[in-house]
This record gives sequence, C-alpha cells and structure tokens, in this order.
Amino acid sequence: MTSTTAQSSSVASAEIGVATAPATAMIRLADIEKVYQTKTIETVALNRVNLTINKGEFVSIMGPSGCGKSTLLSIMGLLDEPSSGLVEIAGRPVTSYSDKELAGLRNQKIGFVFQSYHLINDLSVLDNVELPLLYRSSVSGKERRQRAHAALDKVGLSARTNHFPSQLSGGQRQRVAIARALAGNPELILADEPTGNLDSVMGEEIMDLLLGLNRNDGVTIVMVTHDEQQAQKTERVIRFFDGSQVS
Amino acid sequence: MIRHIFTLIWNRKRSNFLLIAEILLSFFVLFVVSVLLVSNYYNYRQPMGFESANVWEFDVTPNQDTTDRKGTLRLLIQELQATPGVVAVTHTSHNTPFSFSNMNTDQYHYKDKQAPLTERYDADDDMMRVLKFNLVAGRWFDRRDDGVAHQPVVVNQKFAEAMFGEESPVGKILTDPKQPDTWQVVGVIDAYRSGSDFAANEPAIFHRRVLQSTKIDSREYPMLLVRVAEGSGAVLEQQLVKKINRVTKGWNANVNTLEENRHDKMKFMLTPLVALGLVALFLIINVALGLFGVLWFNINQRKSEIGLRRALGATGNGISGQFLGEMLVVTTLGVIGGLALAVQFPLLGVFGLAPQVYGAAMVLATVLIFVLTAICALQPSRIAAAIQPAVSLREE
Repeated sequence: MTSTTAQSSSVASAEIGVATAPATAMIRLADIEKVYQTKTIETVALNRVNLTINKGEFVSIMGPSGCGKSTLLSIMGLLDEPSSGLVEIAGRPVTSYSDKELAGLRNQKIGFVFQSYHLINDLSVLDNVELPLLYRSSVSGKERRQRAHAALDKVGLSARTNHFPSQLSGGQRQRVAIARALAGNPELILADEPTGNLDSVMGEEIMDLLLGLNRNDGVTIVMVTHDEQQAQKTERVIRFFDGSQVS
Repeated sequence: MIRHIFTLIWNRKRSNFLLIAEILLSFFVLFVVSVLLVSNYYNYRQPMGFESANVWEFDVTPNQDTTDRKGTLRLLIQELQATPGVVAVTHTSHNTPFSFSNMNTDQYHYKDKQAPLTERYDADDDMMRVLKFNLVAGRWFDRRDDGVAHQPVVVNQKFAEAMFGEESPVGKILTDPKQPDTWQVVGVIDAYRSGSDFAANEPAIFHRRVLQSTKIDSREYPMLLVRVAEGSGAVLEQQLVKKINRVTKGWNANVNTLEENRHDKMKFMLTPLVALGLVALFLIINVALGLFGVLWFNINQRKSEIGLRRALGATGNGISGQFLGEMLVVTTLGVIGGLALAVQFPLLGVFGLAPQVYGAAMVLATVLIFVLTAICALQPSRIAAAIQPAVSLREE
C-alpha cells in the first residue's frame, strides 16, 4: 500500500506541475497567525503557531471551543489563508499558490472528513464517493467507479452503493465520508471532529477505521477532537488554548 | 462532469420541475413573439411590387353635386394629366396602397378549383404607369380590352400559382358559378403588397375600370392617384388643387402623398407590435428576476456543498462553471419541451405562415432563452465561486 501511495504522489506532482522535495514533514506551519478583523474588533484566532506533522503520523488536536482548532485545520487543508506565516505541504511552501494550484493540491494530497459528514443528499453513496475524482481530468469514468467501489469496500459499505445519504445511519454516513476521502488516495486526511455526531459505539468504529488507515496504509491523519479517550489512541496530542499551542 | 450535472438535475427533478416549466413557458412566449417579429421582418424584406415614391393620392368628394359626375371626373383627369409636372393619373377604388380599406373575395373558379381569399382592386389603363408594377407575363389593360367577351383581369403571381399551378396564367378564363360573369387573365405582375410594409403578398386580382362604364353614386367616390415628376412639391400641389376647384363645382379634395400614407400605416402597424413587444419584455424581465432569485436562493441553500466541492478540489471557476452548466441543462430541458409545442404550429398550419418563419422563430427563441438564462446565472455563479470554503463548510 505504501508503494501505491508513493506512486499516487508522483502522479499528483506531475499533474500540478510542481517538483516534490524530499521531506519527512507532511505539514509544516511556521509563525502562523490568523486574525479576524471587523470594524470594531480584532479577534486573534491563531497566535504564532509553529507546528510540524510528519508523514505517517496520527495527531490529534484538542482544546476548548473557539480556541482555533478548526481554523488551524482549515489552514492545513488550504481552505483558508493565514494572516501571516508559512505553510508547507509535503515540503512545498504554498503561500504564493494560485486558486487552481491550491485546488489541485487539495484534490491530490488531502482528504477531508467532517463532523457533519457533508454528503450531498441528492447524490447516491457511489456518486458521493466519486466526487474528488471528478476533479481529476486524468481519471476515466470507469476508473472512478472502480476506485469508488474499492473505497466503499474498505469502509464496509459495498452493499450500499445505490443508497442515498438520507437512507443511512450517522455512522454509515461518516463511513461514506471516509470512503470519499480515501477514493482520492490522499497522503493526508484532515478530520474535524469525525465522531462528534456519533454515539460511542459508532464513534469507536470510525476511530478504528481511521487508526487502521494510519497503521496499515501509512496515511497521515490530523484529527480535531473533544474526546480525550480517542485522542489518547493517537500518537501525539497537541493542545490549544486561546489560539496558542500549549502542549 | 456533464454526466455528473445531468445526474444532479435528474436527482433534483422535483425541485427543478417548476424551473423547467417556467423556462418552457418563457420559451413559448418568446417563440410567439419571435413568430410575429420574424413574419413581419420576412414580409418587410419582400418587394412591394410597386413604386410609391412621387405618387399623390387625391380623395375627391363630389358632396351635393349630382350633375354629370362622370363627365366632370373625365374632364378633371384630362386637366390633371395636362398639367406640367404630372406624369400619369389613374382613378381607382378606395383600397389604394396603405389605405385602411380593403376588398376581398373568393368568388373566382378555374375548372373545379376555387380561388383562395383574394384582394380585389379596380384599375384603369393608366394605373401601370402610376404605380409602376413589375409585369412578368402578358400585358396591362389597354384599348384591346374594350368590348371583349370576358372581362379582362390582371393577377399577381401568388394568385396565378394558387389557381393555375405550373400552367401559364395568361388567357385563362375564370368563372363564378353563382353569376354569369367570366374573366380572362391578360397579364401577371410579380407582387402587390399594398397593405403596408409588413403586409404579406396575398393573392391579388385587378379588374379593369373604365370611366365610361363606371357608376359614381353617392356611395362611391373616385380616388385619384397621380404620379408626378421627381422633386415636385407644394407649388404643383397648389396648381392641382386649384384645377380641381375650377373644374368641379364644390367638390372637396384631400391630398396626401403615398409616402405619407405609408409612414402613417407603418406607425399604425408598429404600435401593436411595440405594445406586444413591451408586454413580452415585461414578462421576460419578470422571468429573469425569477430565475435570478431562484438561483440566488439555490446558491445560498448549497453553500455547504460549494465548500465541500472546493475542499475536494474544485476551483472557483469550476464552481461557477458547474452552476452555469446546471442552469444550461435545465434550460435545455425546458427548451426541448417548448420546441415540442412550437413544432406543432407548422405541422398544424396555424396562422398559415411559411415553415421557414416558424423555423427562424424557433432558432431566435432558443438563442434568446439561452442568453437570458446565461445572463441570469452568471452573477449568482460568480457569487458561488467567491464563497470562502472554510466559511461555507461551517454552515449546515
């Protein structure tokens, strides 16, 4: 599986036209600041964050609500820009990337799992899982189907391909979301409270799934969570308070 | 991506149904307006079949004078013809070019075929010189037509094609089963669109009017058309009016140029067209605002989906393209329904217009509806493209 990942990475680099520098760091954040400015108030969401996530790591980020965890994850996922500081993904600084380059990098390198699943209700399970591959012109329709089926098989939902999200339980929806993240064969999965909407049993199932992906397939995972028990299952716990890393 | 968009539209068919219905109805309104516009434009491009420039119309009314009207009129025509600057004078019935009166009949028969509804005109031997018809076969009326067994008539090509098909029309005898009159075609002109610039070239027939045999009673007053030399103006008009006053005893004469009448008729014809166009424009603006609102609402409802797609690798332009694409697919479905209705018009022969008029109207309506929906979708799509993924992903 490791070789598959490496192959995928090299294809991805070719597609977005950027040379890959050898590095063990998957994500490197240097002096990241994020300030939300309104007419009357300035809110510091992240305050000089320096953080490195290595390839193959499973890291959890914890902290009280409003401490900047989700903002940090958005910056790592290239969904938001920091007010200042440097972001490197797989050794490449992305500060000056265009919208198209950032979209390409997200598509090739990163898989997202959200607390509220973010499935498109009008698309079948299979169509939802295919979504990230839709934005890769190099992948044919047939290959898209095959990869989506393989991803659903991995999360144990191969019998539900033609169902719609409304016909699934919360745990099944989250598994579909994980399958969608996996379909793109990402090196990095960013999970924002993936078990937050699930009961403890289903939460455990999802956690086991993520742990399996990390251990067996070498996928780097960064997970935001409020659950101390689940955080302890990961290799490293990073704690935030008021926009600053405290441990 | 196209298949993906079709899948989305199909899976959202319930919510898209009303939108498709709205586009179908808008297309139909545009089609009907386009049929009117195209048919009028098509007619406008056709030759008039006569020259109206430098022709003056004298509407002469004898009033209470009942003494020898025919003799007075004959003398008047001779006097007008003798005036320097006058090229030719003709007297005719009241359905002169661009007038608001017309006479039509379907009384003519050839063998077992009955004529279509045909515009009938009265014309003397000089009308050809006044209106400068384009004769394509036979001849115009002249003294050879005096005392002939069948009344001479000149027809236009439209009439000739309808009655005689490929046969040569000259010499053909027309009958009326309800009366003993018979008519012989002596000549064919190419066209005569006397109604207005937008009038169709309807079948037309000219009956020879000879002053000696013309009854002029209180219900039928002569209309004189006078071709004058190019550049003639108010001085000649004054001279002619003075002559009318001198020759006749208290007859009234109203003078207009055919060009003035043409202009007035055009305004008259354009007024309902412009009114209809404004109503259609109002409808279309409403439809456009409706579409704009629906798309705006749609995008607000789908902010979270937009954020997700951005996270999965869609660019801003990709999002914009997807929304535009969805709108174009919905429009295509509406247009297909509209075309299915529109194609019934030529198939059933509604309005009796040429098939190419309907074809052009369908193309015009299709282009207009696609332009309209593209314009309406453009701004909401740009808004969708500008949505910040990190913000929209937090929205449920």
